[in-house]
Amino acid sequence: MTTTKSEVLLHTPGHVKHDGHNLTGFIIFLCSESIIFFAFFVGYGVLKITAPTWYPDGVSGIAVREPLINTIILVSSSFVIYFAERYLHKKNYWGFRIVWLVTMLMGSYFVYGQYVEWSELTFSLSSGVFGSLFYLLTGFHGLHVITGILLMGLMLIRSFIPGNYDSGEMGVESISLFWHFVDVIWIILFILIYVWQ
Amino acid sequence: MTITNYDERIIKVNQPVPGAPNNWRRFFGFNTDAKVIGIQYIVTALIFLLLGGLLGMLIRGELITPPSDLFDPTVYNGLYTMHGTVMLFLFLFPILSGLTNLLVPPMIGAPDMAFPKLNALAFWLVPVFSIVLLTSFFVPGGPASSGWWSYPPVSIQNPLGHFLNGQMLWIVAIGLSGVSSIMGAINFVTTIITMRAPGMGFFKMPIFIWTVLAAQILQLLGLPALTGGAIMLFFDLNFGTSFFNPETGGDPVLFQHFFWFYSHPAVYVMVLPVFGIFSELFPTYSRKPLFGYKFVAVASFGITILSLVVWVHHMFYTGTPMWMRNLFMFTTMLIAVPTGVKVFAWIATLWGGNLRLNTPMLFCLGGLFNFIFGGITGVMLATVPIDIHVGNTYFVVAHFHYIIFNTIAFGIFAGIYHWFPKFTGRMFYEGLGKVHFTLTFIGATLNWLPLHWAGLLGMPRRVASYDPEFAIWNVIASIGAFMLGVASIPFILNMVSSWSRGKKSPPNPWDAIGLEWLLPSPPPHENFEDDIPTVLNEPYNYGLNKPFVVDEEFYISKALNDS
Amino acid sequence: MNLKDNINPKISLIIGISFAVFIDLVLSKLMASWSYSWLPVQASKAAPYVDNLFAFETGIGTFIFLGCSGVIGWVLLFNRAPKYDESYGEPFEGNVKLEIVWTLVPLFLVIAIAIYSTKVNTTLQNLGEKTKYDSQKELPTYLDNNEASAGTFIDVISRQWSWEFKYPEGFSSSELHLPINEKVYFRLISKDVIHGFYIPAFRLKQDIIPGSIISYSLTPTRKGIYRLRDSMFSGAYFSQNQTNVIVESKDAYQEWINKTVKKVPVDGLNQAGFLYKKRLEKGDKGWATISPSPSPQVNDPGNPDSAHEG
Ligand code: HEA
Ligand code: HEA
Ligand code: CUA
Ligand SMILES: [Cu+2]
Repeated sequence: MTTTKSEVLLHTPGHVKHDGHNLTGFIIFLCSESIIFFAFFVGYGVLKITAPTWYPDGVSGIAVREPLINTIILVSSSFVIYFAERYLHKKNYWGFRIVWLVTMLMGSYFVYGQYVEWSELTFSLSSGVFGSLFYLLTGFHGLHVITGILLMGLMLIRSFIPGNYDSGEMGVESISLFWHFVDVIWIILFILIYVWQ
Repeated sequence: MTITNYDERIIKVNQPVPGAPNNWRRFFGFNTDAKVIGIQYIVTALIFLLLGGLLGMLIRGELITPPSDLFDPTVYNGLYTMHGTVMLFLFLFPILSGLTNLLVPPMIGAPDMAFPKLNALAFWLVPVFSIVLLTSFFVPGGPASSGWWSYPPVSIQNPLGHFLNGQMLWIVAIGLSGVSSIMGAINFVTTIITMRAPGMGFFKMPIFIWTVLAAQILQLLGLPALTGGAIMLFFDLNFGTSFFNPETGGDPVLFQHFFWFYSHPAVYVMVLPVFGIFSELFPTYSRKPLFGYKFVAVASFGITILSLVVWVHHMFYTGTPMWMRNLFMFTTMLIAVPTGVKVFAWIATLWGGNLRLNTPMLFCLGGLFNFIFGGITGVMLATVPIDIHVGNTYFVVAHFHYIIFNTIAFGIFAGIYHWFPKFTGRMFYEGLGKVHFTLTFIGATLNWLPLHWAGLLGMPRRVASYDPEFAIWNVIASIGAFMLGVASIPFILNMVSSWSRGKKSPPNPWDAIGLEWLLPSPPPHENFEDDIPTVLNEPYNYGLNKPFVVDEEFYISKALNDS
Repeated sequence: MNLKDNINPKISLIIGISFAVFIDLVLSKLMASWSYSWLPVQASKAAPYVDNLFAFETGIGTFIFLGCSGVIGWVLLFNRAPKYDESYGEPFEGNVKLEIVWTLVPLFLVIAIAIYSTKVNTTLQNLGEKTKYDSQKELPTYLDNNEASAGTFIDVISRQWSWEFKYPEGFSSSELHLPINEKVYFRLISKDVIHGFYIPAFRLKQDIIPGSIISYSLTPTRKGIYRLRDSMFSGAYFSQNQTNVIVESKDAYQEWINKTVKKVPVDGLNQAGFLYKKRLEKGDKGWATISPSPSPQVNDPGNPDSAHEG
């Protein structure tokens, strides 16, 4: 009771902003999303350790070279997207658009590489535990990459709308965060599937 | 160029709720107002409670006699699977989302949820996945019938071999329900963290808000694990993968870990908001401050954290190694400690109070009484040697209905009655409410108390027929269940007639403290709009001379004028 | 009135509380001793340990439940507001000492229960050890094991929905015959889905996981016929997947073996198959199910109608 009575009675109405939480919400979403991947990784680890047979018949391991190139491209795109964001901050819109497009192309190359790898493999989704896990993990991750590219396309189109950035760059920031997320997931995935053979 | 004969102001009747069309149609469209969405959730969920209760009564009808005479065993299996699923995913989660939607913005002084469109989307997924789930009654082969756990290999056996089968629709429905819940959780957490009224620090939030936050964080952490498991199950069922299929090297027990990693915390997602309701109502109706506010608040997070590391108590008899059994037994029992802090705080709040025994308070007291009982049988189940005997028997079924119906549904009824005047602007009929309570309390006790003994004697759950020695307990239980069906009549009557022609409610009919009670009944579209009060204290200072918000008088007279 | 005024209110409160606690303790003790009658007969070495633990927890549980609901009842009787009385109760906000007490007391209780049940766990483990093997990697072979070679070895084979028990003498049975007071070893095997090996009178339950073999052991201690139930939901005719366990004297058991070895194998007990056939005759109504696996060929199909206890 340190406040005096007059102070308490002074009416100062407050105001709560209800826009601008998009980033908070998106970060919460990503934390939650990462747990699905975590569940898959745990499943991978447990089955890899306990399953009586691991690789399908006729498969003794899985090639690393092509996926490694793919990995390098995806990981570097995470740096590229950062520069796109920098351009946007400096209001250099064409710089942003070009670098943003480069990121999209790198992502698309990754998807293409993934497609090539899948089409060359001799086993399928139903060839035992490894087959199931391999396609589940890479497929689910691939879906995220494709989603990311589509969202980037959307942002690219919207960057041509006049005044699009007047109320902030929330969309671009969120997508870029998503892209880093997809990247980190891939690194773990790469270690699990390709390095830990 | 249209010529109107009337003055615009006559056509558009003055609307008491600014910004919202004043008719019932808004409840049937895509509306982004959290209060409309809340009521949409609650009414939808109550309809599914009726459906789930009907399935429950069919189950009890079959079990009133030992042989399986009413249904073929396959039908019985489908019925209890759908009963569990409907009750949890179509009734309980949606109704809690409904109460949360109604209460969170007014209680923290926010105009709406952080993401109103996402909110509406999350709600509209409910009818979508409900229809998906209920269509499975009509596909060839019938609905999912492997229990709400859907343990493989039973769940991936797919007797007819069709791609479109009940189990598959079940997985899709659960997946969509998960998406809806995650959308809700993101919304609730963001709203609570970023949109509180000025002055409302964490330790000035109502306990209901604390419990919602704790519960929704659990959703965010746990639900994706179930989703992951469900995706794998889906592939096993329909695309011949071998995650959980032992014939091709998979591990069926792995699914159980995914399932319970979420579904155990899920039980606290369900019960925490009810703890919140108890914490709001006991002080109001005992006319006393909540005993030990801070302890009660923090205990919610104690429960959240512990509940993430206890899931193996559902798997004590699956061949888990001894160290795991002992470890998870201990963590499970530890949950009794923060829960006890809450229970004792409520009892201390009652002690020396000036109790008003109206319908919401009666449901709260009944719920608390039943919860202590159900919690104690929970601790018995956590004891490995006892669980080895009573696990998967009716003792478990009785334990969880004691909590899930006799506590949670009671708490929800209490909450519905308590806040009914606030959000509809009408009072309910106290007499019908008391009839509802009396029938529900007696029915629920008859229904679930006797089944503990059936379980102790070794009656397994999920059976369509049983040995005659268990008949006596089942007869009493079935009578109780039918009584619960009867109990729903006064409730429905009360809700429908009070809403349409009940007495008008003042802004604060219970003389309660809380931001929502400073608003008119029903509150306007954006609650306090741009006049959000500055909070000075937590809302439980009954009988203490502590002001709740700055310039309370202003808000009270405003609410009175707007009502 | 006079008497009450003379006594210090604090003392009368303490006396009142001690009296209530005393009554609560007496009732809890009564409840604990009564709790034994809620359980089936004790027919294995493990059963008394489980029952004692259960009685202990019933006692603690009763104490807590009656204690809490006693206070609620008291409040309901004596702290009700008269009609139209809107006044406040005593406005105390909390008491840190009390909070600490009721955090620590449940903590100690819970630790006590956990220590006690960990001990019982170890005892049960020693009475009937249990190991899980991967069926494709290694098989448990008891006969190499010196300690184990003193007992009886039985393969428990579960199917949708029938039980088969294979005896080392090379025959099988639909009912589980066991010699009294002798340790028996099981290998739990599932041919299809997860089943549960549950004999309430023995207080034991173990899931049978396809893809693994679980070894299990126990010692029956009481003659009689008991029920064996499938405890893990296993599909359509789950509730029919039950059979009898017959615990008999060593001599009777030996006699049964000698008699059964000579019998020709016949269709074993298969209630599910019987019901499924009836269903097909009636036009296969109902929802879809896997058809029951064919009856196992057993030398003794048993007598499902014999009366059982527990
Ligand atoms: C929805 C709410 C809900 C809640 C809140 C709980 C609360 C608890 N549950 Fe329950 N439970 C379920 C719903 C719930 N449960 C469901 C749905 C299932 C079955 C699912 C299925 O199989 O289909 C289940 C099954 C289940 C099992 C598995 C049984 C089996 O399948 O073999 C176990 C085992 O440990 C268990 C334990 C507990 C414990 C220890 C608590 C504790 O949180 C209870 C804590 C509370 C108290 C103890 C009372 C108050 C405390 C005091 C007064 C303090 C003093 C007390 C002591 C010192 C003991 N529960
Ligand atoms: C929220 C969860 C919930 C609720 C409330 C209930 C409520 C009931 N359950 Fe529940 N039950 C489960 C969740 C729930 N159950 C789960 C998860 C399982 C496990 C499934 C499995 O093993 O896989 C289960 C299993 C289960 C079994 C065991 C089946 C078996 O193992 O073989 C039985 C048997 O007695 C049963 C019966 C009942 C009955 C009689 C009720 C009654 O209490 C119902 C009473 C309610 C009513 C009669 C409706 C009243 C309606 C209103 C008041 C609404 C008014 C409407 C409007 C205003 C529109 N249930
Ligand atoms: Cu204040 Cu919008
Ligand atoms: Cu649990």
